Amino acid sequence: MGVTLTNVSKSFGPVGVVHDVSLDIPTGDFAVFVGPSGCGKSTLLRMIAGLEDTTAGTISIEGRDVTDVEPAKREVAMVFQSYALYPHLTVFENMGFSLSLKKTPKSRIKDMVHEAARILHLEEHLDKRPSQLSGGQRQRVAIGRAIVRQPKVFLFDEPLSNLDAELRVQMRLELARLHKQIGATMIYVTHDQVEAMTLADRIFVLKNGKLQQAGKPLELYDNPGNQFVGGFIGSPAMNFLPGRALGRQDGLLRIGLESLDAHLLAKVATELSEGTSVKVGLRPEHLRPVEGGFNASVEMEEDLGGVSYLHARLADGRMIVVETRGRRESLDGRTVSLGADPGDVLVFAEDGGRLR
Amino acid sequence: MAMLTNRRKEVAVAASLVAPFVLIFALVFLYPTIRLVQLSFTDSPLIGAGNWIGLDNFKRLLSDRLFLTSLKNNGYFILLTVIPTTALALGIALMVTRLRGKLQALALAIFFLPYILPVPVVTHIWTWMLDFQFGVLQPVITFFTGKPVAVFKNPYWVMPAIAAVTIWWTNGFNVLLFIAGLRNIPRDYYEAAQLDGATRWQLFARVTWPLLWPVTALVLTLQLILQLKLFDQVYLLSSGGPFNSSYVLLLMVYREAFQLNHGGYASAIALVLFVIIAALSVLQFQLLRVGGRR
Repeated sequence: MGVTLTNVSKSFGPVGVVHDVSLDIPTGDFAVFVGPSGCGKSTLLRMIAGLEDTTAGTISIEGRDVTDVEPAKREVAMVFQSYALYPHLTVFENMGFSLSLKKTPKSRIKDMVHEAARILHLEEHLDKRPSQLSGGQRQRVAIGRAIVRQPKVFLFDEPLSNLDAELRVQMRLELARLHKQIGATMIYVTHDQVEAMTLADRIFVLKNGKLQQAGKPLELYDNPGNQFVGGFIGSPAMNFLPGRALGRQDGLLRIGLESLDAHLLAKVATELSEGTSVKVGLRPEHLRPVEGGFNASVEMEEDLGGVSYLHARLADGRMIVVETRGRRESLDGRTVSLGADPGDVLVFAEDGGRLR
Repeated sequence: MAMLTNRRKEVAVAASLVAPFVLIFALVFLYPTIRLVQLSFTDSPLIGAGNWIGLDNFKRLLSDRLFLTSLKNNGYFILLTVIPTTALALGIALMVTRLRGKLQALALAIFFLPYILPVPVVTHIWTWMLDFQFGVLQPVITFFTGKPVAVFKNPYWVMPAIAAVTIWWTNGFNVLLFIAGLRNIPRDYYEAAQLDGATRWQLFARVTWPLLWPVTALVLTLQLILQLKLFDQVYLLSSGGPFNSSYVLLLMVYREAFQLNHGGYASAIALVLFVIIAALSVLQFQLLRVGGRR
């Protein structure tokens, strides 16, 4: 139930933008589509809204096939990146716009707009024009306009990207609170993986119009399905090192880091013939100083207080990021020997697929 | 101190940049205008001195039948052109914006083409098209009236015909203004309204029309000014006839000044027209702005 996409594709002429995406969002979930720009996430959202037609596949909302239903009849509301507030209407008129189109009685419009304004703390702004509001207030009006419609599904198209950093964090919390309060299904598009991680019940990672992986935020973080997801989710990003399978040791896979003249052990069950090229993925927080690891010379330190990030250069010239906690003495210019627990070493095949 | 010298320097720079324009403006607009006002209180010929006669020229205007006819004709022409051409341009712009790519450029070029033609060419084209004997449009007129009409020689047809020619000639520019206005309306507004269930009419009435109102007010005001200055088309198509039924103020200014050598009287008429244009356009623009703000 909720929102279900089955083998959905979209092309603009000869250019394919979304390729055979199937996904399922349970009713009441906060789903986030995330991916780099041009990955098709906004197009997918607009297809759910009905603003783009679907080249192939079906879209259903609460069990009803809406693939060919016009936007207004899909019972979805959308919050645009630009907010799309009408400059010639007041906040009240903007929020009640959809109701006034349907010739809803004035008193009912008033009740519903005031209710939405109460939820969003906009009561004292109802008579103002959008141009008299701050960015965050405009954002809330745009959300209010969606709430007033009482849709089955809320769609958000990069709604926070026009706000400054501080306000973005604040609005993120408000959105999470709103979702708890209303409990409706929400689909949220962003290129910011931090927004995705903090807001989502379920993240859908997209790249080049294809669904890469779907799952709970921490599932994706701990268990990325491929190299792209591993590198995209998490900040600072995962470090990738080239390696070669060297056979088994105590039931663990031994991987040679040739360019670094070192090796790592990884908890991988897949049998790999000796010499197979692989990519090793190491999260910054999983790297720690060990005896006989690979050497890295620290070139820069970012101290954030509780956490520090070391930017270090490896023997082959590659840069990696290492997270340390509670460290107080500087390591700048020093060479450290690094390693990781076999359980934390992620291994990807040459084609980017995860080896488990 | 430094602030003060800076400020003084800025003023000097600003003044030197504005000076060329101010000088030219004073020479070719301000001075002639002042002279025109002076002339309108004299009985002087076009060139040479005259006597100060106070408000006599203006008193004479009030009893001049041709002046009153011209004033009335100017008003009639405004009714025939300003709102119709604005409405037509808006309609065409709405249709043209629905086209895409090259087709849109082609449509725009076609509608804009008449605007780049010089007036004599325009009037020539229409004289041919409406020619009593050979005009390609006479069958159309015959269809509606039962007989061909010599439109520029008929007192009832002449003003509407000149209005039609004028609209055909100048409409392209208004279409362009409206298209620019339409392109300035973000697509999100339409998509949001579409999601809210707006019908096509509601999209126009609730989104396009209010957001396009500033452009509409501009077009209406520009048209009002332009059409009050009517001269060329009348001069070339009907010379004010028949029976002065297409006589307008500028034609009268031309006649008094250059044919009858009444510089003072012509100046008085021109001054009246100037005041009418200034007053009406300011009034209209203010009214439209208030209307747009609701």
